[in-house]
Amino acid sequence: MCHINIFNTENMDEKNFTPEESLSIISKTIEETRKKIQDNGHIMILWGCLIFTVIFSQYMLELLGLHKKFDIVWTCILFPLGAIYTFFYTRRKTKKNNIPKTVLGITIEAMGWVFGLNVLVLATVFNNQIGNALAPVIMILLAMTIIVIGLSIKYKPLTIGGIILNLLAFGTFWVNPAYYGFNLMFGAIVGLIIPGILLNIAKKRGNV
Amino acid sequence: MFSDLDPILHSQLRLSIVSILMTVEETNFNFIKDATKAAAGNVSIQINKLQEAGYINVKKTFKNNYPNTAVSITEKGRNAFEEYVKNLQKYIHPK
Repeated sequence: MCHINIFNTENMDEKNFTPEESLSIISKTIEETRKKIQDNGHIMILWGCLIFTVIFSQYMLELLGLHKKFDIVWTCILFPLGAIYTFFYTRRKTKKNNIPKTVLGITIEAMGWVFGLNVLVLATVFNNQIGNALAPVIMILLAMTIIVIGLSIKYKPLTIGGIILNLLAFGTFWVNPAYYGFNLMFGAIVGLIIPGILLNIAKKRGNV
Repeated sequence: MFSDLDPILHSQLRLSIVSILMTVEETNFNFIKDATKAAAGNVSIQINKLQEAGYINVKKTFKNNYPNTAVSITEKGRNAFEEYVKNLQKYIHPK
């Protein structure tokens, strides 16, 4: 089979080329476009670190006896800041890199926002009803989001991270609620930070 | 030689452009030019041919005071591409 370099199109003309060459052009173009529009792991790492920092700081505040005074402020400041940063970072990146809209991109973005809004409502409006189950429920919602995104972009580390997080969430129900935070921190590392770092490395190498 | 293959799509650059447009909802001229690494003039000519065939929509607007050419695939273009791929498969795997 003759392989055509789709990037050497300076002298593209109307001459006949084989069906194999046509298929090669189609598959390479679609693959290259997919690579160009795919986001890197920056936002995943950011949210992983954010969750880790918030939970870790809550444990620290509790140790220092300052939990009641600062934990709500801490959570209410860091997470909205993360959401604002995510919004502007994504918008700037899309404009700067001239990234076109895709169904996949719109779906992934929507999944992220739907997850965030659901967590916000659960944590603020239904906090009393949901009680201690809030942490594992958040983990399940996060795991679902991560698995779907991982399957959509066909990136195994993300899918595996999501599955581990999902299993961890079920395991959390058996743990003493006082230690839920540790599971959440571990989940943030496995489900977001590690896949995010691997995605960035793969992106730099051009493997994703 | 390949009589069943749509002559509009059976051109390397036009095929690349349509393949890109099959992947995205809408894009612009610069993205296509960068993705195909073809000369602006060549891309412009092929976009015009695809537009004349009714395979793509072209909207010329201004974005932040700069001209912006938004390009998207039409239903006719989508069908033509799918038909083209089907015919390609017939050539590659004849029954």
